[in-house]
Amino acid sequence: MSAILTRDELAQALGRAGEGDRAAFRRVYDATSAKLLGVTLRILADRQLAEDVLQDTYLTVWRKAGSFDASRASPITWLVTIARNRAIDRLRSGAVMRKSTPIDEAATVIADDAPSPAEALETVDDVRRLNDCLGQLDDRTGGAIRTAFIEGMTYDALAVRENVPLGTMKSWIRRGMMRLRVCLES
Amino acid sequence: MTDPTKNGGVDEDLALAGELALRVLSPEDEAAARARESADPAFAAHVEAWNERLGGLADGIVSVEPSLWVWPRVEAGLTPPAAANDNTVVFWRRWAIGSTGLLAASLVAVVMLAVQPTPAPVAAPAPSPAVIRVATLTLQNGAAAMTLAYDANTGELYLAPTNEMAGDTRVPHLWLVMPEGGVQLVGAIDGSATSRHNLGQALSGPAGAARAVAVSMEAPGHTPSADKPDGPVVAEGAFQRL
Repeated sequence: MSAILTRDELAQALGRAGEGDRAAFRRVYDATSAKLLGVTLRILADRQLAEDVLQDTYLTVWRKAGSFDASRASPITWLVTIARNRAIDRLRSGAVMRKSTPIDEAATVIADDAPSPAEALETVDDVRRLNDCLGQLDDRTGGAIRTAFIEGMTYDALAVRENVPLGTMKSWIRRGMMRLRVCLES
Repeated sequence: MTDPTKNGGVDEDLALAGELALRVLSPEDEAAARARESADPAFAAHVEAWNERLGGLADGIVSVEPSLWVWPRVEAGLTPPAAANDNTVVFWRRWAIGSTGLLAASLVAVVMLAVQPTPAPVAAPAPSPAVIRVATLTLQNGAAAMTLAYDANTGELYLAPTNEMAGDTRVPHLWLVMPEGGVQLVGAIDGSATSRHNLGQALSGPAGAARAVAVSMEAPGHTPSADKPDGPVVAEGAFQRL
């Protein structure tokens, strides 16, 4: 039951949640929980774990909503960052064994542009720009950055999966990210 | 224009901030970078900017509707919101915002509250005098980990951690230590910044009766049962009344 909120409406709801408004917090949950479960599930590959982390994510959101600053961050990105970091913390706590997905497959999932309930939350121009800039990197580099983000993988894990030396993977991603930044800010 | 791929200087910081945001660093390097993020606002701003840049990568991730049980559990874990126009709450909020988070500043604030429970600048007086309980939680090595103040009348709880818990990847949870010896979970807390909570009716009784408070460190994403921490108890402090 995802509700559609615009970015401004979500920012406003988050701000009200930060003041203790439970109804506003529920609107935030309804509008974003499917998106955030998608994020935690891609990292943890286990629905129960992903939902546990989702629960913890929203408790963190409730506590930290007062610090959200709409002038500095997109509300959905702020939420995704919390969910992703929580999921990665759980993934690396040692209790989770996840199945491995080749980078090509991750790229396929990301390329799926089926409409999502939360898509109105994204600033479409920003996403298009990010994809354009990623598209300017070579495929290996763009794929590695996407996979690192979507699956929460470290340099070590990425290097093993791609069967390249650790230093090579670091070099790809570092250079790729710096080029990405220049492209995004040009 | 600088070469974006050069090493050293500002670009090295930018790259490290990006690696931290992307979470590709080894555990050791990540811990070092997290410590840097806590101590260096300019570096923290770089990390935040990277989070913002990379956030769009989540756009293509397929959404998945959560099970119906998730929301009730989230809701059960919320500290009840206080009345929106309660002047006491406004005062607490201003206090929290105005605090630097430093222990000394917090103690000054606690003392000020005790001396002047109804602050003049904030419109109408509170309905009844504040009953303030304070505690300083210390680690086993004696270092102060957090100052806590609780207003038994309003249920408002204010927490001011020092930087002793910063950088720990585990999640601090606050517990009430009851006179009869048991403990009662208050909930997960932010170990890195000041925060305020309202304990509401369910917890205000135990909080008023508790003899001490304690902090356990729990695995990320894990919520212990309400009467027993699963992680180690790292800090404790007795309640005192002002």
